[in-house]
Amino acid sequence: MTVARWLVVLCGIAIAVAGALVIAGQAGSGAQPWDSELSDNFIFVKAIPFVLGLGVAVGLLRGRGAPPLRRPDGTVRRFTTGTVLGHWLITIGFVLALPTGMWQYLGGILDVRAPIDLFLFYRVHYIGGAIVLFSVAMFVTSWWLSGDRSLLPPRGAWRTHLVGAAQELPRAVGARVARLLRLDLGERVPPPQRFTYYETGLSFPTWAIALTLITVTGVIKAMRYVVPVPGPILYWSSTLHVAAMVLIVIKVLDHLRYTLPRWPMMVAIVKGWVSEAGIRGVLTPSVPPSALGERPVAGAEAPGAPTRASAITGSDR
Amino acid sequence: MKRLAGALAIVWALANLVVAYLFLTNAFVAKTAIKEGPLAQAALLLGGLLVAVFAVLVAREGLALVRGTSRADA
Repeated sequence: MTVARWLVVLCGIAIAVAGALVIAGQAGSGAQPWDSELSDNFIFVKAIPFVLGLGVAVGLLRGRGAPPLRRPDGTVRRFTTGTVLGHWLITIGFVLALPTGMWQYLGGILDVRAPIDLFLFYRVHYIGGAIVLFSVAMFVTSWWLSGDRSLLPPRGAWRTHLVGAAQELPRAVGARVARLLRLDLGERVPPPQRFTYYETGLSFPTWAIALTLITVTGVIKAMRYVVPVPGPILYWSSTLHVAAMVLIVIKVLDHLRYTLPRWPMMVAIVKGWVSEAGIRGVLTPSVPPSALGERPVAGAEAPGAPTRASAITGSDR
Repeated sequence: MKRLAGALAIVWALANLVVAYLFLTNAFVAKTAIKEGPLAQAALLLGGLLVAVFAVLVAREGLALVRGTSRADA
């Protein structure tokens, strides 16, 4: 890591710490006239720039990742420690933010009150939201710096990845998806690279959409306490925030449905290291053998794409 | 570890089934129609159905892990 980047990282962390101290000082001064809920709203909106900045600083710290490694016992490093910790962190963020957000929404629909004060739901929701914001900023910065695009189809290869993803789905569902997207399910696709076609063609892009939506709408909703937000924008932000929340609830379930029976994926994201044979076994049968062809479909792989072996051991994610 | 993960997945799936139930039942009550409108009712219905379907799939995978009959055990 260059000296300049270290300086940026240290400045980012120092600014975040200073910001936290000032915000805590203001909130704890006893001079604020607001109730607990409004006070939390102000703390959250004031903390957002610092949380995002800290995420970028930590993303810079992660830098370009570590070189691929293989142990003599046949295990390979699939994810760096930073990625494993980041995945846990965003998981904790969801576990805090989703149930509390769901309660805020359903409480309004059902017109019921919990025995716990509502501001506590908001408080936990803001903590979870701040963790998600930090994680998103950290991962985006880290991927931008490393140039790693392995979770996305290469340029010109979207069609192949969508075909591969549709082939992984149950036949009836896959056929509907193929009809909708005008895909040829009989097309032969090359073996997947670092991630399965389902992950690159469907799962990660929808994660990106859902996270972008919930982040942008959440920030707009929070901003209304410090800047005037026009009514229609606030209305649509609230509506789309709820829609994104439901989409993320579904995405979490789909993620679990997909990874639980592919156990090496679970091992890899917990330990970072995984049996090479195990992860190969998960990647290769992700599309039916009849659909796996050695002949690459046009644009399936980016020029200079890593070989499959090195791709599996790739660790800069 | 697989059994623990399976058990946690079942708990998560059950919690989501409760959410799906609340979504689905409230899609059809007059109060929602008056307060939120038909678009919100449709969204509750669609969201509830999707959450229910995926929750059942997760519960099935969790159960298979607990029983040791998952593809992960093969």
